[in-house]
Amino acid sequence: MRNRAVAAHLFLGAVLLLSLAPVVWAVVSAFKPAAEIVADPLGLDPATLTLENYRRVFDDVPLLSGFLNTAVVLVSKGTLTLLLAPLAAFGFAKYRFPGRGLLFGTVLVTLMLPTIVLIIPLLLQMKELGWVNTYQALILPGAVDAFAIFWMRQVIAEIPDELLDAARIDGCGEFGIFARVIMPLIRPALAGLGVLTVMNIYNDFVWPVVVANSERMATLQVVLSTLAQNITGNRIGADYATVTGELLAATSIALLPLVAVFVALQRHFVSGILAGSVKG
Amino acid sequence: MSLATPARSLPPRARRLTRRHLAPYVFVAPFIALFAAFSVYPMIFTLRLSFTDWRGSGAARWVGWDNYTYLLGSGAFWSSLGNSAVLWLLVVPAQIVLALTVAVVLNNARLRMRGLYRVAYLVPFVTPLVAVAQIWVVLFDQNYGAVNRLLSLVGLPDIGWLTTTTWAKPTLALLFIWKTTGFIVVILLSGLQSLDASLYEAAEIDGAGTLRKLWSLTVPLIRRTLAFAAVMQTLAVFQMFAEPFVVTDGGPYNSTTTAGFYLYKHINQADLGTGAANSFLLVVVVMALSLLFVRLLRTED
Repeated sequence: MRNRAVAAHLFLGAVLLLSLAPVVWAVVSAFKPAAEIVADPLGLDPATLTLENYRRVFDDVPLLSGFLNTAVVLVSKGTLTLLLAPLAAFGFAKYRFPGRGLLFGTVLVTLMLPTIVLIIPLLLQMKELGWVNTYQALILPGAVDAFAIFWMRQVIAEIPDELLDAARIDGCGEFGIFARVIMPLIRPALAGLGVLTVMNIYNDFVWPVVVANSERMATLQVVLSTLAQNITGNRIGADYATVTGELLAATSIALLPLVAVFVALQRHFVSGILAGSVKG
Repeated sequence: MSLATPARSLPPRARRLTRRHLAPYVFVAPFIALFAAFSVYPMIFTLRLSFTDWRGSGAARWVGWDNYTYLLGSGAFWSSLGNSAVLWLLVVPAQIVLALTVAVVLNNARLRMRGLYRVAYLVPFVTPLVAVAQIWVVLFDQNYGAVNRLLSLVGLPDIGWLTTTTWAKPTLALLFIWKTTGFIVVILLSGLQSLDASLYEAAEIDGAGTLRKLWSLTVPLIRRTLAFAAVMQTLAVFQMFAEPFVVTDGGPYNSTTTAGFYLYKHINQADLGTGAANSFLLVVVVMALSLLFVRLLRTED
């Protein structure tokens, strides 16, 4: 039995090492002088550690405005998702009404469709509305996502109807039931959805790169990808080491907030996914 | 008078009843409105667009099935699907086996540090994809990358990870596996935790070994969770876009021009009718694959 436990830890530890190594390498390397990252990617000389890469990336790249744009989208789109998805899921899970099957069926079908299918018409729609390079364009499409409502409906369906009836007898209105009974009960799953939503919005890349490509509106991920294109050759004659240093610094800055939030909330996140995903 | 009493108390109750009938519509309305505007409407629009020749300005010309027949006869379209299929083969089977192994080992309640492992495995998943892609560009650089430096420590020659057609796809597959396996582990753990321990005790009494229990009990019992994971990853691999976009720009020699990236190329070249048709062909492929999994893992009953 003890041998088995040792074997388990050796295996899990090896996987852990592989899953952390690239991130740790990037964050640590960003503190090395640019020339050293390239000349000695595996070494680390404590004497030469520097903030130079970070300083330069703030000078060269609109990182702060990228952060700001991402924050605006994150708060508004996240709030919309976390309010509208459970509300609609409640409607679908606990009420029978004409049109329910058709409406929910449509939602389910889009769950199976590649999101990239919608890029062309959405872009045209945004052009028609004059929304290209605006916050609306970044926020509204995708604010209601099929996966979120599917997940929340599963969770809400498991709440016994008797609880709802009891609340009605106590004089609670239908919206009151949602706010005072449903929302507190689904808090773990909602926390899971919250982290997943924050993550998706923070990391979203395809849609922002298409609809918000001006420097003023670029989100953090778009800013990052522009920097990456410099490294893959668009910036002719650029010093490879310098760009690499900037890239790693920018990458570290971009990943740290999310990893920090995740580590702080990981308990909710893991139990949220565990509570919400389909059972065997 | 005896009739008047119930009649007087009826109006509020009737009102409550109507309210209860109206409530679900009020609840789903905002969601459905946004959903119709930004999902259903564009989808119908795409379908119509796929039968036209349109470059993004001027009038669209109706061309019937031309876009579809053009794509079905085009080498580039098939090679983009082929690239995605190869990536799928490199990613999904390996990933499911790895994730299942990790989940089964991690599911032992007596194991110490389970929480730590679970959190650490999810770090790649919460790391922004664009950031990961960029770390990959630097790590796998042929001349300056840490991976080749590691290989040279054990005497292996340099490999052109991102610059040769042989290695570009495996390198992208590695990125994808690294990025998403932790999430699959959590999904599979949720399946494992719903299993009944007494079944395993019975199997042990019958003398079943570890592998036997895994194959004859665990896999069949959580096959719906496995199917869910496989479908999710299939969708993700065939839609893969940001990875080739950032890491390889679809090269070398289009070897990493995935189905998703090929679709983007139409948009980029303002060849919107063809792009729309390509979208629906991709939908057909993805749906067929998803249904195949659902069937494969269901008929075992």
